[in-house]
Amino acid sequence: MGRYGVSGGFAALTIWLEIAGKKRRVELSASLSVRMMECSVDGRMLAVDVRFLEPGVMSLVVDGRQFRCILDGDAVVINGRRYGFEVEDPRSLQGRRGVGGGAQGPRPVKAPMPGRVVRLLVEVGDEVVEGQGVVVIEAMKMQNELRASKAGRVAKVSVAVGDTVGSGDVLVVVE
Amino acid sequence: MATVAVYSDADRGALHVLHADEAYRLGPAPAAASYLRGDLILEVASRCGADAIHPGYGFLSENADFAEACQAVGVTFIGPPATAMRVLGSKTRARQAADSAEMPRVPGSVRGLADVAEAQRVAAAIGYPVMLKAAAGGGGKGMRAIAKPEELAGAFIAASSEAERSFGSGEVYLEKLIERPRHIEIQLMADEHGHCVYLGERECSVQRRHQKVIEEAPSAVVGEALRRRMGEAAVRLALSAGYVNAGTVEFLVDADENFYFLEMNTRLQVEHPVTELVTGLDLVHLQLRVAMGEPLPIRQEDVRLRGHAIECRIYAEDPDNNFFPSPGLITRLVQPGGPGIREDCAVFAGWTVPLDYDPMLSKLVAFAPTREMAIDRMLRALEEYVIGGIKTNIALFRRILTDTDFRAARIDTGYLERLLSFRASEVGETVPEEIVAVAAALFAASLKGEAGVVGSASEESRWAVTGFREGLRL
Repeated sequence: MGRYGVSGGFAALTIWLEIAGKKRRVELSASLSVRMMECSVDGRMLAVDVRFLEPGVMSLVVDGRQFRCILDGDAVVINGRRYGFEVEDPRSLQGRRGVGGGAQGPRPVKAPMPGRVVRLLVEVGDEVVEGQGVVVIEAMKMQNELRASKAGRVAKVSVAVGDTVGSGDVLVVVE
Repeated sequence: MATVAVYSDADRGALHVLHADEAYRLGPAPAAASYLRGDLILEVASRCGADAIHPGYGFLSENADFAEACQAVGVTFIGPPATAMRVLGSKTRARQAADSAEMPRVPGSVRGLADVAEAQRVAAAIGYPVMLKAAAGGGGKGMRAIAKPEELAGAFIAASSEAERSFGSGEVYLEKLIERPRHIEIQLMADEHGHCVYLGERECSVQRRHQKVIEEAPSAVVGEALRRRMGEAAVRLALSAGYVNAGTVEFLVDADENFYFLEMNTRLQVEHPVTELVTGLDLVHLQLRVAMGEPLPIRQEDVRLRGHAIECRIYAEDPDNNFFPSPGLITRLVQPGGPGIREDCAVFAGWTVPLDYDPMLSKLVAFAPTREMAIDRMLRALEEYVIGGIKTNIALFRRILTDTDFRAARIDTGYLERLLSFRASEVGETVPEEIVAVAAALFAASLKGEAGVVGSASEESRWAVTGFREGLRL
């Protein structure tokens, strides 16, 4: 764990992130009395002037450039552009890779947005191929067919026709 | 003037209700059980003693039966009379009206084609390329573009059977194919006393699947002479049908400045703000005065166009996922402002965009002395605009507004589909990757117990981390 030469002996926080497919290691030297904060991104040092404006909103000034940053769920919006990010837990990184990268293990089909289930194309026990449509959801009169991301057997169907589902809800599990 | 809102169960907390003096429930969320129930709306009108109904630009706004029902119970329908709506609302009858008003329309057959031989005769007469269209059609079904005579027979059979499957009628007709047309429309306002003025044009060539995405006024390709020709033709059509109140005549315009009648919208349109900005007129206010039987307060020579206005339709949809609607809770709303920026907005932070209706959130409009300046103002406003919690098409507009062809006004109705067929790349000045990482890390650190945020283990450090998080949650 790195420490930075900030008077008062503040500890550094280390945060592992994934942004646009890239792994990032960010270290923050927390000094709140002095708003200038030393940070490093993948070992590169930056002096950042931080102002927190309200929950989820802050302004960063770096080398004279100002960035208004707004937290929006799993993304940060900066100067009108949206950047998705994910916080990685280094302790479970190996394990998660094992599940996410291979064809082994159950794989859920999730609702990418809120909607209503209009059709189920599979039943529990059906064999599906990768890319096969499994469920159709509708929002605002547009239908979206959601597909299996791997071949396998349908282990679970968690919804029925007519159900309202939220973004991220698991609809079907293929194993 | 006091206002009365009607609402469905999904819209009890909607902005149109919150702005109204009185509000009455119509029924459940589905439009067929609420906003399309003319009988319920008229019941509300009689209960609250309303003098007039403004139908907006969806639902019953082009429904002649509803206009008639209003008239029958003595409530003013703010729009044209039912008779004019019937003539101009139907595609075939509007074509006949256009012919008698000596308005150019796309050359071709006006009735269904009997067989391939007749199709070949018609195509030869109007000249290739041609377009086969389903008489009962819509949404691009039963449509075929044909470049050469030898393609016609196959296309005729394919289009006809597709039309049969989709609409239950295999009837097809032929039109000359207008290559790379621009969509340009004329705004009209007519009173009950036989006066009708045209309020300039709007160009709506930036479309996706026949849905308008960006509209602007004036059109970069319409000069004084063409504007007068189109405007006068549109006025002739309206007067011939006994039209009253606001309406829009839509045209296709080809590269040689030929214009062809497309259809007439017998209501106020979504994109009316751009006309309001360049004419300095309040169209809804004019609609009310006309509906009260007043003569138009302006004559044609009073209509002067000034500056340039552009409108972006902000939708709850995800450009990265085939534009699928993205309703849901709006967690944050930062609205743009400043000189020349108008935002007609229907949402607020804390509002849940319902699943049930069109996903339009707002209309962002920029006005400036020139097209170039209006585009730049719009780009600045789009950078300020934050709608948190749901996906929106804001980034799409940045892409269009920085595109060389759009900036040079080299647009037609196929422009946006061509642009979208190229891979999106982030445009304009981007944010350095390290800044994104630092901002994301600071937000992550402020969230208590977030996995992956690791502080050092000493007692002193834990206090520091706690203090740090408290600070971030200011």
